[in-house]
Amino acid sequence: MTPAEQYLLPAPAAGLRVRARSIRRWVQPQVAVSLVGLSSWAYGVTQLRPTGIGIYGLLASSPWLDVGLFLLVAGFLLELRREARTWVLALQLVGLIIAIHGTVPIIFGVPEYDWVYKHVGIASAFEQYGRVTDPTNIYQQWPVLFAGVAAIASLAHVNALTFAAWAPLAFEMADALLLVAIFRLLVGERRIVWLAVLLYEGLVSWVGQDYLSPQAFGFLLWLGMALIILRWLRRPTPAPDHGGRLARLRAPLLAGLPPAPDTTRAMRAVAVAVVAVIFFAIVAAHQLTPYMALAGIGALSLLGLVRPRWLLVLLAAIAGGYLALHYDLIAQQFGGLFSGGNPLANAAGARGTPNASSAAVWSARTVDALAGGMWLMTVAVIARRRRRLGPIAIPAVLALSPFAILLAQSYGGEAIYRVYMFSAPWCALLIAGVLYELRARIRWALIATVSVVALFAGLQGLYGPVSVNAFTPSELNASVWLYAHTPRGSVIVLPVDDFPAAEAADYNDYDVEVPPADPQLGPSWMNEGNVEQVESWMASLGQRTVYVVVSRSMNNWANYYGAPDGYAELVRDLPTSLHGSVVYHNDDATIYRLTVAGAN
Amino acid sequence: MRRPRTELTAYAGIVASIAAVALVLGAPWPAMALAGSLLLAVVPAGAAVMCWLDSGENAAQAGLVLVVSLAVFGIASAIMIWAHAWHPYALLALAAASTVSCAARLQREVHQ
Repeated sequence: MTPAEQYLLPAPAAGLRVRARSIRRWVQPQVAVSLVGLSSWAYGVTQLRPTGIGIYGLLASSPWLDVGLFLLVAGFLLELRREARTWVLALQLVGLIIAIHGTVPIIFGVPEYDWVYKHVGIASAFEQYGRVTDPTNIYQQWPVLFAGVAAIASLAHVNALTFAAWAPLAFEMADALLLVAIFRLLVGERRIVWLAVLLYEGLVSWVGQDYLSPQAFGFLLWLGMALIILRWLRRPTPAPDHGGRLARLRAPLLAGLPPAPDTTRAMRAVAVAVVAVIFFAIVAAHQLTPYMALAGIGALSLLGLVRPRWLLVLLAAIAGGYLALHYDLIAQQFGGLFSGGNPLANAAGARGTPNASSAAVWSARTVDALAGGMWLMTVAVIARRRRRLGPIAIPAVLALSPFAILLAQSYGGEAIYRVYMFSAPWCALLIAGVLYELRARIRWALIATVSVVALFAGLQGLYGPVSVNAFTPSELNASVWLYAHTPRGSVIVLPVDDFPAAEAADYNDYDVEVPPADPQLGPSWMNEGNVEQVESWMASLGQRTVYVVVSRSMNNWANYYGAPDGYAELVRDLPTSLHGSVVYHNDDATIYRLTVAGAN
Repeated sequence: MRRPRTELTAYAGIVASIAAVALVLGAPWPAMALAGSLLLAVVPAGAAVMCWLDSGENAAQAGLVLVVSLAVFGIASAIMIWAHAWHPYALLALAAASTVSCAARLQREVHQ
C-alpha cells in the first residue's frame, strides 16, 4: 500500500491501524517483561510479613520477589539492546529502584537501621528547641541535613519518622538522575550510560549508605558538584608540548580525552560560586564526605583538568576552616584527623564474630566477592586501555581517588565502605564501557550475566540482614512509650545495640547503655548470661533503677551474628534471677524495670 | 519551536514555588503539607539559579535544580539553628526569591 492509498482508507480503518500499531508497541517483549516483573514484585511484597522473613533475608523468603527483580533487569536489558528509548529506560530504571528500595518500607512501615532513629532524634531536638542542645554530640555540630529535615517536618507539622523510611528510595532516585547526567557528559554512547547506571544500582545496593543520613545527603551533593565541575569547570586538555615537565608526564594519561564542553567566563564564575555553596553544605553536614570530594577534585586537578587552579585551595580552606572550629570533637570521636597511617588497617571494615550464623557469613562473603570483583574489573579495564587512557582518564581517577582517604582515617571502621560508595559509580561506568564494546558474539549474554550477578549479590548484602536491621511499628511504639513514660535521667539498657532508640527530641536527657558484650562494637568482656557480671555492670551505671529493653530485632541480631554472648539467657533471667518487672509489653518488645543493688 | 531549557526551568521554579507555599500554608492534611515542604526543599532555590545556567542536558538541569535547592535549604535551616532564630516559615522566602529570579529570567526572554 502506497502512502497515498493510506490516505484513501476510510477513517475508522485508519484509526484501527494506528491503535493496533500502538498496542503492538506496548506489548513489545521488553515492556511486557518489565510489567510482569513489576507485578511479580508487587505480589511478592504483599505476601511478605516481617515474621515470615528468614535468617537468609528477603531473597530467600519470596520467589515472587526474585522473579520480579530478575524480570525488571531483563526488561531493561532487552530495551537497551533493541531500541534504547530514553523514556522507556528511565521508567524501567525507576521501576527497578522502587522495587529495590521500596520493598523494606512497604513491608515494615517504619525506618530501617537503628542509626536512622538517632538522626531523627537530632532533627526532633532542632525542631523542638531551635538550637544545638547537646554541643558534645557530633551530629549536632554538623547540622545541615538535620536542620533541613527539622524544617521540612516543622513546615508539615509531622514527625520526621513519617517520611524517614522512604529516604533510601528518594536518595537512590536522585543519585540515578545525577549519574545519568554525569555519564552522558563523559560517554557519547547512551547504551553505556544506562548500562552503567543499572550496574551501579546493583553494585552499591549492599553498602546501605542511602538511609536518612548525612553521608547519603553528602554523596548526592558530591554528585552535583562533580556534574558542575565536569560541565563548566573542565580545563581544555593541555597540549603535551606546553607547560613543561608536568605536562609531558600527564600527556600519555590524557591522550584521546574528549574535548571539554564550551563555557564562558560568566558561566564559570557562577559555577564556582555554586560549587562553593554546595561544598559548604557538604562540609557542614558530614565529617568525611568533604575529604572524599577533595580527593576526587585533587586528582582531577593533578591531571590539569579543573579550572580555576585555585578552586581546590578554596574548597580545602572551607573544609579546613570548619574542621578547625570543631577539631576537639573530631579528636574525641576519631582520635584526630589521622587515626592511623596504616591503610590496610584502615580498610579492615567491621569486625565479625566467631559465632556468626551461616547466613551472616554467606552475605558477608557475597558482598566481599562483589566488591573485590568490582575493583578487579576496574583495574583490568584500566590495564586494557593503558595505551590510550584519555577516554577513561576522568572516571578512572575518580574511581581510584577515594582510596586516598585510607592513608589517614579508619573512620571508626567505616572508611572502606565510604571508599566503595564513592568509587562505585565510576567503576560501573568503566565496566559498562568495556562490556558494551566487547566484540564477542556473546556480548549481550555477558552483559546480562554481569548485571544479574551484580544486582543479586548486592541485594543479598542489602536484604540478607533485613530481619536484624528493620524494625516493626510495635518496636517503635515501645521506644516512644519509653521516652514518654520513664523519668528524665533514666538509664536505658539495650542488651543488643539494635533498637529504634533516641528518636525523641529529649534523647539527650536519657542515658542509653549497651553492655560490653558484643565484639562487633568494641572491647567485650561480659557474658550477658552471667547474672553476677550483669548486676555488677548495671551497678556501675550509678542508678538504682534501670530500664532494660528486649525485642524481636535484638533476638534476630543475636541469632544472626552469634553475639552478644548469653543474650538468650539474659532474656530468660530478667524476670527471674534479675527480678525485673514488666512495665511495657507488646508483640515485639518488652521493657523491664530493674532495681539495682549496690548502685551509687 | 522548543523552549530553551532555562525558560522551562524558570516556569518550573515559579509553579513549584507557588505550589509549595500554597500547600504549606493552606493544605488541609499533613500529607499535602509534607508534599509542599518537600517541594520547597527540592525546587525553588535551585530553579532560581539554574534558570540562568543551561547545562545542555535535561537530566543535568533537573539534577542540579535538586542539588542546589537541597544545599541552600539545608544551609538556610542550619543558619537558623546557629543563630538561635528557628523560624521554619522564614524558608518560604526561598520560594519568593525563586519566583523573582525566575520571573526576571522569563522577562529577559520576552525582551530578547
